[in-house]
Amino acid sequence: MNKKTDVLVIGAGLSGMMAAARAAQSGKKVTLLTKGMGTLSLTSGCIDLWGYEVDNPKQPCGNPFTQIQKVVEQNPGHPYAKVYDVLKESLTFFQDICDKDGLTYRDNGGENWLLPTAVGTLRPTYLAPASMAVKDLNKVKQIVVAGFDELKDFYPEVLVTNLKKSKLLRPDCELTVAHLKSGWKKLYATSLAHRLEQPEGQQEAIRQLKPLIKPGAIVLFPPALGERRDIDVAGLISKGLGCSVYEVTNLPPALPGQRLQDLFLKYLKNQGVTVILSSTVTGAQVAGNRCSHVTAEGAGKTFTISAQTYILATGSFVGGGFDSKPGQIEETIFGLPINTGDGKWASGEFLSLKGHPFNRFGIDVNNRLQPVDGQSKVILENVLVTGANLSGSEFSIEKCGNGVALASGFKAGKLAGEVSR
Amino acid sequence: MTQKHDKHLILDNCIKCSICVANCPVVKVTDKYAGPKQNGPDLERFRLDEPRAVHPSIEYCSNCKTCDVVCPSGVNVSAMNCKAKGEYVALHGAPIRDQVLGRVELICKAAQIAPWLVNWAANVKPFRAIGEATVGVAADMPFPRFASRTFLQQYKPKKINNPKGKVLYYPGCYVNYYTPQVGLALAEVFAHNGIEMVVDSFNCCGLPTVSNGLTEVAKGYARNNVAKLNSYIEKGYKIITTCPSCNLTLRQEYHELFDMDTERINNETFDAFEYLLMLHEAGKLDTRLKALPQRFGYHQPCHLRSVGFGIPSLEILRLIPQLEVHNLEAGCCGLSGSYGFKKEKYPISKEIGQNVVQSIQEAGVTQNITECGMCQLQINHLSGLPIHHPIQLLAEAYGLPSYLPK
Repeated sequence: MNKKTDVLVIGAGLSGMMAAARAAQSGKKVTLLTKGMGTLSLTSGCIDLWGYEVDNPKQPCGNPFTQIQKVVEQNPGHPYAKVYDVLKESLTFFQDICDKDGLTYRDNGGENWLLPTAVGTLRPTYLAPASMAVKDLNKVKQIVVAGFDELKDFYPEVLVTNLKKSKLLRPDCELTVAHLKSGWKKLYATSLAHRLEQPEGQQEAIRQLKPLIKPGAIVLFPPALGERRDIDVAGLISKGLGCSVYEVTNLPPALPGQRLQDLFLKYLKNQGVTVILSSTVTGAQVAGNRCSHVTAEGAGKTFTISAQTYILATGSFVGGGFDSKPGQIEETIFGLPINTGDGKWASGEFLSLKGHPFNRFGIDVNNRLQPVDGQSKVILENVLVTGANLSGSEFSIEKCGNGVALASGFKAGKLAGEVSR
Repeated sequence: MTQKHDKHLILDNCIKCSICVANCPVVKVTDKYAGPKQNGPDLERFRLDEPRAVHPSIEYCSNCKTCDVVCPSGVNVSAMNCKAKGEYVALHGAPIRDQVLGRVELICKAAQIAPWLVNWAANVKPFRAIGEATVGVAADMPFPRFASRTFLQQYKPKKINNPKGKVLYYPGCYVNYYTPQVGLALAEVFAHNGIEMVVDSFNCCGLPTVSNGLTEVAKGYARNNVAKLNSYIEKGYKIITTCPSCNLTLRQEYHELFDMDTERINNETFDAFEYLLMLHEAGKLDTRLKALPQRFGYHQPCHLRSVGFGIPSLEILRLIPQLEVHNLEAGCCGLSGSYGFKKEKYPISKEIGQNVVQSIQEAGVTQNITECGMCQLQINHLSGLPIHHPIQLLAEAYGLPSYLPK
């Protein structure tokens, strides 16, 4: 059986969902098909554009756009060089979608935020959900870190010990560790979030925290202040305590990324996008330099989908878009060539500030996001490539993953929307 | 195509990203379940050598298969969990309650002696209280009501001249014993579109037995069903289901759990709306539908999502003028077959289902549709609102008997 659509987006990560949202806005019939859920729920939920100064990689940068402009000038192979024209427009588009559903993303007046993490470091990011956007950390008199004894992977002592070393805080800022008990034997971030959505859960936390709070305090929680967007857990606890309450970035599962994923999936369905989950695109039929249809497989049965435009947003290694074996890497649907630079995969040092070459592996594209070969010739004209499928960026060092995803997804959706029927 | 997986390779595909834990509806509401990753791929590594490496919390897996759906690496987490549950029961035995609840087919057959008596007794509060205290069947979870006559007793095949297709309908226990109106409405829709539909008696698909760890019983059902289904496929019949869980079990679970070759069954088995969509694509579906100026909430059953074909019923219902269907988009309803009938799991099941209730309230809908009988039961229980199978709306729009309450 064959399904017909105008735009087929493959992958449900941030770039795929942005592409689908933008193409739907142009009035296209959009189908989004995905094997897994996309890695958005594994991310911090913040939108990083660029983290550190290009010329001084240890120094967090102020205005990320200044740095990105440098990157675009110096490195035409970087994905930002292909999508810089729509970067600001894509951010506005993203914020509008989130705003409409009550999930406010805040910028810091054009400068990066420096937000505390679960290990007490400060991480630069451009847009943060209101529940994470800690204002004026440098003026705070007391920081209470609320850990839950039953929760794995969040240790308030670690956060406090490292945050104390930060020169950003007031010298007299008091850091307080709070060990809360939940009454459950074991907590995951998701179960803690669910518990904190209930009034009893909020009361439980407020009762234990209240005696520790001094005037001018803020409270930092693990990223588990509720899952549902209709219950403002941070706001309710904040009201109960009489001080501001925030979530910090932590390992997955973490709720800020999860909320963003849920919001986008719901938004897309309401925009009339057909979402097919649990289905894998296994191959493509190509005629000349166009794809005529792809083959998808759900529960072992195959069907085909034909579209005007195909958007490849399958991610790299974690997202499952690239398959790797020792010394080999392949893009599994179209068999597009992957730029592996000089063929070296890893730096010798695990935590090298230069990053690892494999993170830069990806598909080369032109300014219209069409895949190109070594001679810059378009391989498939109706296939557009986005996000982590693109070559040339080291997201873990540059902190550009979500920025590239937003802008490239937006641009692909926009281009797909311009294709005439 | 996926029927030739190397299981060790699938296990190695797990990169421990925790996406299954992040999305698991059970982990979210209870601390009694160690989670899909721990019970699945983490322990499976040990179970390959030592079947006893099963965590007792495995019984809290509801088999909704969300873990399989969200995994970006193609790991069949739920199959590992189902097998582990089987191992656990093989080692420690299953409580009498689970042995009975799992054997849905036997319960249904036994109830045929006097369905009205069973329906009456199932609603007597003191009986239910005793049932909860003695064998642990949740007193507050209503049992579905047996129909006075089964679907197979009621269905009279219609003679179709020059049929456009011929199908065998596998109604499953729920439609056959509890909601025959679904099968009857399907028969009307098929006959109207020139499709010849036959029926036969089959075993339960076996999903409830698998979910209760009664692997050997399930295998017996599977063998009988596969042989019989194949005999129809050989005669050129397509297999049609209206229950997403039966569909998934016939097509995928027999293979994944019991290593049976079901490739042909997989290719020839269709959800009723998937089949209707194929007819429509081929221009063979009658699209002269009357307007239904009504509004419904739609709940997607987990096992329909698992099949990976989207929501064919919504694509067909879109053809009905003035019908407004709001996708509730709220995840698992929480009942998961016999799971929510167990005393210790009823609160978990109810808590998971609150998302659906909230979504219904947000949308302001007063009636709902969903394909799965058990989801229908749970949503009606939690919301108090009427709920039907989407095929009944299609029958209604054709002006055929839809068996909807008037």
